[in-house]
Amino acid sequence: MLGKLKAGEKGRIMNISGADKFVRRRLLDLGIAEGSEVCVKCILPFGGPVMIESCGQCIGIRRKEALRIEVERA
Amino acid sequence: MLANLIIGGAIFGYAGWAFYRFIKKSKEGKCAACSIQSSCSSNCSVNQDENLK
Amino acid sequence: MMNIALIGNPNTGKTSLFNNLTGSYEYVGNWSGVTVEKKVGVFKNGEDQLIDLPGVYTLNPLSKDEGVVTNFFLNEPFEKLLNILDASQLRRNLHLTLQLMEYGAPVIIGLNMLDVAKNRGIQIDIGKLSEALGVTVAPVVARSGKGCDELAELVTGDFVGMGKTNLVYYGKAIEDGILRLANMLDGRVKLPIRWLALQLFEGNSYVKDYLVKYVAIEEIESLILSVADSHFQLSGDKQTLEQVIYRKRSETIDKIVAASASRKDNKKVPLTEKVDMIVTNKFLGIPIFLLMMYFMFMLTFDWLGFPLSDALDAFLSGPVTAGITAALAAAGSSQFINDLILDGIIAGVGGVLVFVPQIFILFFFISLLEDSGYMARVALVMDRLMEAVGLNGKAFIPMMIGFGCNVPGIMAARTIETPKERLMTILLTPLMSCSARLPVYALFVGAFFIQHKALVVLSLYVLGVVVALILAKVFSKTLLKGETSLFVIELPPYRMPQARALWRSTWDKGKGFVKKAGTFIFAGSVLIWLLAYAGPEGANISMDDSYLAALGGIFAPLFAPIGFGTWQASASLFTGFLAKESIISTMNIIYYVPDEASLQGLMAVHYTPLAAYSFMVFILLYIPCLATTATIYKETGSKRWTAFSIGYALLIAYLLSLAIYQGGKLFGLS
Repeated sequence: MLGKLKAGEKGRIMNISGADKFVRRRLLDLGIAEGSEVCVKCILPFGGPVMIESCGQCIGIRRKEALRIEVERA
Repeated sequence: MLANLIIGGAIFGYAGWAFYRFIKKSKEGKCAACSIQSSCSSNCSVNQDENLK
Repeated sequence: MMNIALIGNPNTGKTSLFNNLTGSYEYVGNWSGVTVEKKVGVFKNGEDQLIDLPGVYTLNPLSKDEGVVTNFFLNEPFEKLLNILDASQLRRNLHLTLQLMEYGAPVIIGLNMLDVAKNRGIQIDIGKLSEALGVTVAPVVARSGKGCDELAELVTGDFVGMGKTNLVYYGKAIEDGILRLANMLDGRVKLPIRWLALQLFEGNSYVKDYLVKYVAIEEIESLILSVADSHFQLSGDKQTLEQVIYRKRSETIDKIVAASASRKDNKKVPLTEKVDMIVTNKFLGIPIFLLMMYFMFMLTFDWLGFPLSDALDAFLSGPVTAGITAALAAAGSSQFINDLILDGIIAGVGGVLVFVPQIFILFFFISLLEDSGYMARVALVMDRLMEAVGLNGKAFIPMMIGFGCNVPGIMAARTIETPKERLMTILLTPLMSCSARLPVYALFVGAFFIQHKALVVLSLYVLGVVVALILAKVFSKTLLKGETSLFVIELPPYRMPQARALWRSTWDKGKGFVKKAGTFIFAGSVLIWLLAYAGPEGANISMDDSYLAALGGIFAPLFAPIGFGTWQASASLFTGFLAKESIISTMNIIYYVPDEASLQGLMAVHYTPLAAYSFMVFILLYIPCLATTATIYKETGSKRWTAFSIGYALLIAYLLSLAIYQGGKLFGLS
């Protein structure tokens, strides 16, 4: 799960269908879908959002959405 | 006396005009805050409000 | 004359390009959603019009600002499209380009941010990109304006390639579906069928609503279902039509990118990421934000702003007043005119102008936040807190903008995707202390809290935010229940703010304040002075017998429990509804003093420090100004919500001031 990665770890997205419909759409708009490589840049405290990097762009999503995105650790 | 009339007339005339314009523009809301309002020719109307009713 | 639409992904430099092409000074920032509505400017050739649209990733909208773009394509005439691409994010940007080409209007591509791409090891062959798409591609540097003249010539010129409208083959099922829609519409629609059909299959609700005007909704829905079904029959994969269309476009884009771009591995860690490690750090993120805000307030109110304001005050009340007095004497003016100008206009307008330095300093910092890219990080850092009260981090951006002026803040709420969160943000942004409220604080802290100026003002700003957050929690538990909250934010790379852009952006925000002083504050001062000069018993009477005193006196008892039951205070609160800074000009006229310093001295007689704080809190919260109210009405489209926004603000302001004043008295403060 993407939400389980630690800061600095990389992974490849395997399944994104668990995430909220709107979040999925937005990530898709930003070019993040199954097969994209992502790297967790930082995790904010108290269950706050995570900042991920993919193809050179940084995106913030909530931890609970990140926990619904399956990744394969790379 | 003439000077008084001219100064007074100018002040009250300008004040009335400025007041009228300000109220008119404030009522338009967002366009009053837009920085290209003088050169902008879009008509400042919101046509799609169905998302929020 | 041609209409040319400027379109591209968020944060690709559209607005910078718009400014360079049209020579206008539109507001630019480094966060998604700077432009939330369409804006029109005229090209430097003086003929053709350029339409700046909000940034979108696709023509299938999620939020309201994106809906503006889809509506534009459905309803408004235009001749050409100018598509601006971010070279460092070519793949994502081309998804939009493919949709534009399906629309079939002539397209020209401006390729921006080649330098960013180069830093990341990406080389783009412009010739090959142009060939693959079948349209003209021109490199530009939107921020500096390099290449913009050439681009302007290309765009306004006669010849523009149409591009290849069917670059993507979507598979038999979808392609057949397009033909079936064409048959159903039977030439009744002017818009390109292929584009309409693909948007419909992707689930674009705006396009669906448009088509319902021509074809029965049942037919449209059964068409979509049967296309999805036949796709499944033919290919056997379970993807939705939206996914299939996206995948097919991606495949085509991969081919285009493979042919036109090459990348070397660049192992260097970009500066942006190093900065991000600090400012969005687990422990340091929020403290850094607060520290920056504190620094901003110290500079605005203490270190820099205060001495500047004092100097300006001395100048206005000294040489300027003396000069005007001499000029009036030379013209032989009567006592009435002298009083009008010196006690009315100079007191009223000058009292507001004195705060121009402080307001510009504040605007400078807001521009810096916007231009550097830190704004989006603030949204990220604040998201956890905002989530707890039923909003999302993005709602913090309109609130920050609201510190400058509430009107653009409310407009910026358009970028928020869910209607509930957007409405809440619109309703709560007026609680952010805008720059017009700043003179009131500056006056009172100068009179009562000289030792802790910045801290007291900071406490008011924080109070506004805290009240907004508490109310958000209350509203989301009562009035606006339900609906899941959503938060995905793009964090643009940091960039070094340019002096020229910063100044321009500061000036754009601040000039309204100066202009208002010359127009509305001037007029208001004349009116207030007249009301204070005349009374039921005639003109030139004691001010306590004037119309203004009578008017303020009606409501004064209401304000007695919160510490300022004088007719002077309630009279100035009235004028504050039209524009908050007129509170100060009204007070200057009422208290009848030549400069700011003596007004502060007089204040100490009329208010206690506790009453002064209570008054500032009341000013902070009591009512959105007229322009803000009008914007709330335009943006919500609802009289009820507009009335609500005024009503709840009055109530909260009164209750809070009451608690502060009465509570403070209980604790023995005065």
